Amino acid sequence: MRTGHYKESVGGLIALSDSKAVWAWTVVLLAALVAAPFLVGAYSLTLMVSALIAVIGAVGLNLLTGTTGLISLGQAGFLAVGAYTNAILLTDYHMPVWVGLPAAGIAGALVSIVVGIPSLRLKGLYLAITTLAFAFIINHIILYAEHVTHGPNGVFVTGAKLFGFGLQRGPALYYLALTLAVATIFAALNLLRTRVGRAWIAIRDHDIAARVMGIDLVRYKLLAFVVSSFIVAVAGALLSLQIRFVNIDVFALILSIEALAIIILGGLGSVAGAVLGAVFLSYLPEAIRLVLSAVIDPASPLYANYVYEIRGIANGLVIVLFLRFKPDGLIGFWRDARKYWSNWPLAY
Amino acid sequence: MDFLALLVSTGLVSGAAYGLIAMGFALIYKSTGVVNFAQGELVMLTAYVSFSLANALGLSFIPLLIVTIPIAMAIGLALERLIIRPMLGEPVFSIVMATVGLAVILRGIVVLIWGSEPLNFPAGLPTKVISIVGVPFYPAQLCLLGALALVTFCAWLFLRFTRLGMAMRAVAANETAALLMGVSVDRIHAAAWMLSAAIAAIAGMLFAINFKLAPDMWFQGLKSFPAVILGGLDSVIGASLAGLIIGVIENLAQGYLGEGMREIAGFVVIIVVLMVRPYGLFGSVDIERV
Amino acid sequence: MKIATSVLAAALLSATAAWAGDPGVSDTEIKIGDVNIMTGPAAFVGRGVSLGSKIAAAEINAAGGINGRKIKILTEDDGYIPSRSFQALTKLLDEDGIFALNGTSGTANVLAMMPLITENNLPTVVTTAPSALIYKPVRPSVFTFGASYSDAFYAQLKYIHDHSEPNNPVYGVIRQDDDFGQEVEAGYERAVKEFGVKDGIRLRFKKGTSNFAAEMAQMKQAGVNVLANGGIFAGAANILSEARKLDMNLQSADVWSEGIPASAKLAAPAGYDYTVGDYVALSGPAVEKFLAMAKAFTTADELAGVSRYTFVTYVGLKSLAHAMRECGKELTRACTIEKLRQTKNLDTGGLSAPVSYDNPQQLAGTEVAVYQLHAKDVTFHELVGFKKY
Repeated sequence: MRTGHYKESVGGLIALSDSKAVWAWTVVLLAALVAAPFLVGAYSLTLMVSALIAVIGAVGLNLLTGTTGLISLGQAGFLAVGAYTNAILLTDYHMPVWVGLPAAGIAGALVSIVVGIPSLRLKGLYLAITTLAFAFIINHIILYAEHVTHGPNGVFVTGAKLFGFGLQRGPALYYLALTLAVATIFAALNLLRTRVGRAWIAIRDHDIAARVMGIDLVRYKLLAFVVSSFIVAVAGALLSLQIRFVNIDVFALILSIEALAIIILGGLGSVAGAVLGAVFLSYLPEAIRLVLSAVIDPASPLYANYVYEIRGIANGLVIVLFLRFKPDGLIGFWRDARKYWSNWPLAY
Repeated sequence: MDFLALLVSTGLVSGAAYGLIAMGFALIYKSTGVVNFAQGELVMLTAYVSFSLANALGLSFIPLLIVTIPIAMAIGLALERLIIRPMLGEPVFSIVMATVGLAVILRGIVVLIWGSEPLNFPAGLPTKVISIVGVPFYPAQLCLLGALALVTFCAWLFLRFTRLGMAMRAVAANETAALLMGVSVDRIHAAAWMLSAAIAAIAGMLFAINFKLAPDMWFQGLKSFPAVILGGLDSVIGASLAGLIIGVIENLAQGYLGEGMREIAGFVVIIVVLMVRPYGLFGSVDIERV
Repeated sequence: MKIATSVLAAALLSATAAWAGDPGVSDTEIKIGDVNIMTGPAAFVGRGVSLGSKIAAAEINAAGGINGRKIKILTEDDGYIPSRSFQALTKLLDEDGIFALNGTSGTANVLAMMPLITENNLPTVVTTAPSALIYKPVRPSVFTFGASYSDAFYAQLKYIHDHSEPNNPVYGVIRQDDDFGQEVEAGYERAVKEFGVKDGIRLRFKKGTSNFAAEMAQMKQAGVNVLANGGIFAGAANILSEARKLDMNLQSADVWSEGIPASAKLAAPAGYDYTVGDYVALSGPAVEKFLAMAKAFTTADELAGVSRYTFVTYVGLKSLAHAMRECGKELTRACTIEKLRQTKNLDTGGLSAPVSYDNPQQLAGTEVAVYQLHAKDVTFHELVGFKKY
């Protein structure tokens, strides 16, 4: 039972984790994920890819909203920018995918500077609605810039290949998504332990005090926007690879609200929370579907006529109940378990 | 001139709809600090409820309004007690997310009970066109404008001169101090939700009569956000005025610029205004102490 | 969570035994998939579509099935979102193992599913989104039934031009800012060029708009008296209601979505006797016969939801079934596609023109009939029977 920390070197102080058990379990999890395509069917694999894309997007949003405290409802816009950039580069200009993905990220980052500058003075809900406004405007521009984005007709995404493997089917896409997700998580965890991460946390906690202590608000807020949007745009590009056809219907505003729900349900401010929230909300519709078809007989008229509404209501109900009883989010379960384990038999 | 008059008059009408919904947002935010993302769904739900009442009881407009408002207030109270009250003390973010979840539930319930077809809702108002200064109006549109004016006036009276209104302003300014002064914060929260639901009922009924009664009415809630922000999140009167401004600007943009500018005109306006006044036109500035 | 789901998925996969040959076919049943709009604001469209598949399957099963095999319809929801259509079809193919696809939702949704359809050589009948994007280029296993929006509007404008054109005709079009709207404008353009009439104004609006005050003010300013109304459902009703408020004397050609009872009820109070062009029947003896037949297979509630969306999928499944029946006991996807290609003049009991897929684009049902609404009693009457335009 751990009673404290004792470090002898700088390396030990800044290591991601000093516990051999943590590293061992991480390796086991990674091994299981790598072996997954051989264990599960094609449909489950596409669900996992969707969950991984949600993880990447959630980690990106968490850096902006959870760590820096800048509430953003404009994620749907950045997803769209990333997806469209990737789609247009791949299909219209026949670029390879290792140009398309980073280019998508850079496009998202550039757009976020445009979004970030007016938002520097704003706080709280005002900031949230401004980002929502930008998402609306981005959608509008995509729709009307027909000569570049094909307007309402959408863009097919084909021909993504890497080392000769077609990247848009099954296991290849899954490994790409897995690699990017792991890279993003590590990048986020490391970023949070640097000067930049600490500056962000200071801005979240009290930005005037942070300014007084010498943290340049403009620079770090813009940096938060840029980094977060880069990651979200890459998630959007991955999404375009998976669904193979993008048009603005895919990026309805509801995605932004769902993204926010993911990081709040997972636990605001922690990377692990973002990951847990993304996985949970990605699998929730499937879980509800399974539970409902077990509880209600699929052949009854009640099921046939009302099942979709019931599923929708169940979705909302789970979110509300969760927030009611566990406002900390999913990460709160983990923290409680850890505290219980290390404090037992004492209460605190 | 005719064209301009048409654009401005219809802009005022759609602006009135935005304004009424925005007032509901502002009232709840002012008293509880929570942005109720389920306001659009509440508008939709109360509109459908009044539709059913109209069909079941065959009422004309004013009696229907008188019957719907208490029921809407009851719904608002129920939602506040069930969802918001148990979460008192939790971070505001979580409560806002809970309203998002509530919005999803309400949307599902509406389709479950009333189906997904768009419905016709005349509510006993005459459909003969009335001409004012050469500009044509439907009676339903005039009712909408009148309702906004009436509700704004009543809100001003309420907040300024009644005890409950002053208590609400006290709670908005400083909850702890209000508690120390003997204000029952718990009751104020409930009252805020009830009144907001009443305004939502008026907004819902009139919107449904004027535009449509369909399960995608909730989107109007999102579209009213520019009005809320422009007026200042915690200014009820400001929300009403801002609604009218946004409505007119949207129509003018669409009429003279075209290209779907109506959809984004409101949002462009708030971005520009917020750069100059970060708390909206009439919002109260957050004074932070380090 | 992932492990549990994958174990469950493995169990499900082994449960749906895929017999030797193509998936979805066993000795006793054939699985046909539907990807419809079951949730969201357009859900009543998807319900109507789904009903068509259900009625057709029930009718065929009651008559003994297809060479002894019963049809089983598996429906998935896509909420009109293309990425969800893709996911839904993935599930239908991988987990449920369907043999063919009948009901679909919108153009973008079908296009999103296209990579999966071509990969699996899935026999697909598209009846609700007969857009050129689907059959140009033609995909080997995709068969389209229906006329384009462009033809439907041209047919109506031609009728108005020939029979009831006002003295100083000024034409105008208002349409959605997407591919559906583009087709509406294409039909309008064709009509205006051919008739040599004044092209008053062309307006676009964003999907989901309910406030058309600015647009109709512009129409009034342009003096439009023949309108190509590209609005749908509540939107179309609002357009006409605004027009009535501005006291505009106009004739309106509408989208076939206005031919369903719900839309007619919404739009009738404006008092315009608008026309509708459609590739299935809206009224008349064929519809009566269908309703009488459907009574045996539906509840009263469902019967009330029957509309032109039901007819299109009904025709689609009947044509699919016809081809499957020709294949006999050896039912494979390749054989079905071959037989579909050879389909000529398949009678649909008057619900549409006879179905013939034997052309390079595998396109049938392009004949349009024109109907007119009598606003006073909210009924539709045929003006012109099924004709090619």
